[in-house]
Amino acid sequence: MNGKVHGYGGKMTLWERLYLGEIFRGLGITIRHVIRNLLHTGDMPTVQYPEEHRAYSPRFRGRHRLMKREDGTPRCVACMMCSTACPADCIHIVAEEHPDPAIEKAPASFEIDLLRCVYCGLCEEACPCDAIRMDTGIYDLAADSREKFWVDKEFLLNNTTDGTR
Amino acid sequence: MDLVLTTFLKMAFILAVILGLVPVLIWAERKGSAFIQDRTGPNRAGIAGIRLAGLIHPIADVLKLLFKEDVRPAGVHRVMYALAPFLVFFVSLLTYAVIPFGDYLEVGGRRIPLVVADLDVGILYVLAIASLGTYGIVMGGWASNNKYTFLGAVRSTSQMISYEISMGLALMGLLLVSESLRLTDVVAGQGQLLWGFLPRWGVVVQPLGAILFMTAAFAETNRNPFDLPEGESELVSGYHLEYSSMKFALFFMAEYTNLVVASALIATLYFGGWNIPWLSRAVIEARAGVLLPALLAAHVAVCALAAALYLRRASRERGKFGDARDREPGLMAGVCVVAGLAGLAALALRPWEIGPAGASLLATVLQVGAFVGKVVFFCWFFIWVRWTLPRFRYDQLMHLGWKVMLPLALANLVVTAVVAAFV
Amino acid sequence: MVKVTIDGTELEFAAGTSLFDACRTARGEALPHFCYHPDLSVAGVCRLCQVEVEGMPKLTIACNTTVREGMVVHTRSEKVRRAAQQILEMHLINHPVDCPICDQAGECGLQDQYMTYGLYESEVGKSDKVHKAKVQVIGPRVVLDKERCVLCSRCVRFCDEVTRTGELGIFNRGDRAEIGVAPGRQLDNAYSLNTVDICPVGALTSLDFRFKKRVWLLRSTPSLCHGCATGCSVRVDHEAGTVYRLKPRRNPAVNGAWMCDEGRDTYRELHADTRLREPLLRRDGALRPATWPEAWATLAAAAGPAAPLGFAVVSPRQSLEEIALFAHLAAVLGAPAAGVSGGAREADRGEGDDLLRSADRAPNRAALAWLGLDEPAGADLAARVRAARGAVLVYGADPAADAPGWREAVAGRTVIHLGTHRNATAESADIVIPLGAWAEKDGLLVNRQGRVQASRRAIARPGLAQEDWRFLADWLAAAGATEFPASLPDLRRWVAGRVPALAGVDLNALPPEGLVPGAVAAGAGGER
Ligand code: SF4
Ligand code: SF4
Ligand code: SF4
Ligand code: SF4
Ligand code: FES
Repeated sequence: MNGKVHGYGGKMTLWERLYLGEIFRGLGITIRHVIRNLLHTGDMPTVQYPEEHRAYSPRFRGRHRLMKREDGTPRCVACMMCSTACPADCIHIVAEEHPDPAIEKAPASFEIDLLRCVYCGLCEEACPCDAIRMDTGIYDLAADSREKFWVDKEFLLNNTTDGTR
Repeated sequence: MDLVLTTFLKMAFILAVILGLVPVLIWAERKGSAFIQDRTGPNRAGIAGIRLAGLIHPIADVLKLLFKEDVRPAGVHRVMYALAPFLVFFVSLLTYAVIPFGDYLEVGGRRIPLVVADLDVGILYVLAIASLGTYGIVMGGWASNNKYTFLGAVRSTSQMISYEISMGLALMGLLLVSESLRLTDVVAGQGQLLWGFLPRWGVVVQPLGAILFMTAAFAETNRNPFDLPEGESELVSGYHLEYSSMKFALFFMAEYTNLVVASALIATLYFGGWNIPWLSRAVIEARAGVLLPALLAAHVAVCALAAALYLRRASRERGKFGDARDREPGLMAGVCVVAGLAGLAALALRPWEIGPAGASLLATVLQVGAFVGKVVFFCWFFIWVRWTLPRFRYDQLMHLGWKVMLPLALANLVVTAVVAAFV
Repeated sequence: MVKVTIDGTELEFAAGTSLFDACRTARGEALPHFCYHPDLSVAGVCRLCQVEVEGMPKLTIACNTTVREGMVVHTRSEKVRRAAQQILEMHLINHPVDCPICDQAGECGLQDQYMTYGLYESEVGKSDKVHKAKVQVIGPRVVLDKERCVLCSRCVRFCDEVTRTGELGIFNRGDRAEIGVAPGRQLDNAYSLNTVDICPVGALTSLDFRFKKRVWLLRSTPSLCHGCATGCSVRVDHEAGTVYRLKPRRNPAVNGAWMCDEGRDTYRELHADTRLREPLLRRDGALRPATWPEAWATLAAAAGPAAPLGFAVVSPRQSLEEIALFAHLAAVLGAPAAGVSGGAREADRGEGDDLLRSADRAPNRAALAWLGLDEPAGADLAARVRAARGAVLVYGADPAADAPGWREAVAGRTVIHLGTHRNATAESADIVIPLGAWAEKDGLLVNRQGRVQASRRAIARPGLAQEDWRFLADWLAAAGATEFPASLPDLRRWVAGRVPALAGVDLNALPPEGLVPGAVAAGAGGER
């Protein structure tokens, strides 16, 4: 901790070249850590992950969600801005006609391959309708098959925002 | 007949201790490294919520390794490949035959020496067996037909050759002092006091030899800072890279049994073996009536303290996990209380009225305990060093072995010889 | 010739040239515009193309001005830029700016001009805009969005001047003015989708292409329409191996800026379910998928040295090179070859008109004549096939469906079908070889004018299908021929050497509008 740092090719003193003293100094440093951690297990910086969650900034980009209109249908108009902006090419949208001519276009399917996604946020940045957001705070994505990471419109529409699964 | 029976019992005892120590060492390695690095270490695996700070993990590991697929890569030499891990593990156990783990055990007036084979060339045997260990590594590394394993094996051999020499020379210094190749004699000799107050331990009379031997022992066991045969950063994992399942586990266990051997050797040769300084057998037997109750009282006190700590934890962390793990502190407190009560019950048996047979037994138990304690300490020392020091570069390793250790060992031998000749 | 100075450069133009075209030549890019179109009359309604002409008190529109001797014109002055910006702002006053749902986005005049000349902060709130009808299906192929229209009148002029059907008109006045179809009518002429092409904004969009793909994702390949003998120049718009639409490519010598609606549908056959994806061999009475080595072995047994080929027919839908190579192969295999006559094929006949569409729906019939292949009429063909002994080889055609008496003529004989789809002939064949469809290969077509044009490969062939000329060349090699091409340019040189009409023509370097051999000097390239 307060040891000298030698640059590459730096000269070591005789004492240092004897190794033994320095080795015991190192052993002293490590055992201090052991003792401190033994006596204060609670102070460990480790996050006990499934039980504890690290609090992330509200700007953290988690799993995507699709916003809804007041009537519950997706706000997305299938403009493909997000899939065009996506550097990972992982948004797959098929557009369809919306019965309301004022809306005109809507996604028939909206799928994201979360395994390919790099969570760059360019999709939410690109969306002209604020229809896709990454504010769910969900970062622990786990599933037992690849297919389960391929999430569809229903899933994205019903993604919760409070960071719980 | 008796001889066979007692030998088998002693072997069983040794095996039980070593094989029991291995999982504990693996746990200590993981937990110790975690604490050194300010991490928590293993704390997940548990049986009905009992996790014992991660001690259950080795059990889970063993189960996992047992059920893993035994993959044999294409192009291996089948016989050698299969044989190597067994050889390594077998050789690592062989050394114990000559290490005395206690003085003697008195049963029905007969004294059974606590060593499996009291060879008169014990130290030579140790050296011979130690150099055998590298055969398994070379076989495994070569038979795997992989350049990384092969490099690991080659490194292991050259390392072994380089450090074997200084190890042998360091030991010769010790031989000059102890004047016997028989390990029981070496240990017994260390029970005396030098100038009336200093234990005549190997480390006291041969300090340089002790350091050289310990360094060589690190190298022989392939432990950091000498773990080049398995240097992960350059050789993936070295000679056992292509092994999986139980074959890998054998290599892994051999590493830790080797650790125990090395620790036992260090303790035996340089740290008094089973001797307890200033508490010779005679003293213990004479004072048994005081020692035993004192020990029992200490046990009760420790149990009470542990129980109190667990109870405090139980009240602090009530409902922390919301599953079986919440019961652990309470249960552990209960176990401590029971152990403490057992100690109290033993006190009620008036242990201060202990007879001579009991006193002899107590002395044996204490000596064996001292030996095991020393071994465990050196095991920890190995782990401690590993997580403190960085790995050598190969040229540094060779430099140290040939240009530093060898001359020092020679000098040590010469000086010792001169002193031994004139004193 | 008149001398004009545009942005400080003095240039000469033929008298009568429009100032708009002169500026395009001088600047290297067009002036901002909506209403001007080279193939339509001048309307001068969008006012975007204003330029500064010295001596004139006000800015003037370039599209409705012809060049005069000594004119000094400024197209990049601050005044001109401000004018374009303000006109654009006026166009956008009532524009809905619903680019996210607009199919035009990405190829929209408004977007382009705004990014070049606009870039102002709009002062019109969305709620202040005049709203008009959206999603009006005004014909079998066209959707109208009245809000997005900039009233450039291109579509109206197209229907009035090109098709002379006059379905469209501008109704109402002021900011209520809007495009509409005449009462009781539909925009249903045979060229209606050209209005979609020329509409500079997303007011007219294609029903077929609607919401299928964003245009910026598409890649374009210059090609030819294979719909009829006119051979319109087209652009194949495709992405990831799928063709999404055909658009006309301006070729004044053939199709101007237009193409017919039927021709635009021809891309669909490329992705039909009936496409052949692997060789099929008849086993136990049914066609079953096979590997190429199996197919080659069967082919060699059916039509090789041991069993001479009986008769070979080729469709006038194949390219010039393919027909030539095929005829050569037939000769090597010892069989007479013929084209499948248009008379025999009702499918080859369609409605023609005096604009573009040709009644002959085969795109390459002229090539048959060039290569000396005749086209026996239906019954005739059957008779000739019957007369020949041995296996029958069919390339690209479907005589089983079109030629009367074909099935009887080939009964009990081995039929080899080389083609793209599982048609009637393929179904009744014994060996079916999958080859590339027109957008999946390079090829030359000879249209009804005798014009040779090049069609380019846009997408990959499906499954195990092979490129036609390669397959034919491989077969030639297998049949022991000494003469077979090593590459496509090689093949084209070889074809040019065999066709007297093509003497001196480099088929590997055709101009974009194609050429009529022998008429090169006569200026058949046409004027712009
Ligand atoms: S976060 Fe980035 S990578 Fe992921 S879907 Fe959005 S744009 Fe694509
Ligand atoms: S950018 Fe927004 S509106 Fe457009 S497709 Fe993506 S989510 Fe839908
Ligand atoms: S016409 Fe152009 S500007 Fe208008 S909505 Fe469509 S793409 Fe956008
Ligand atoms: S519909 Fe299109 S082409 Fe027709 S007037 Fe409007 S903007 Fe022009
Ligand atoms: S292009 Fe000249 S006024 Fe429209």
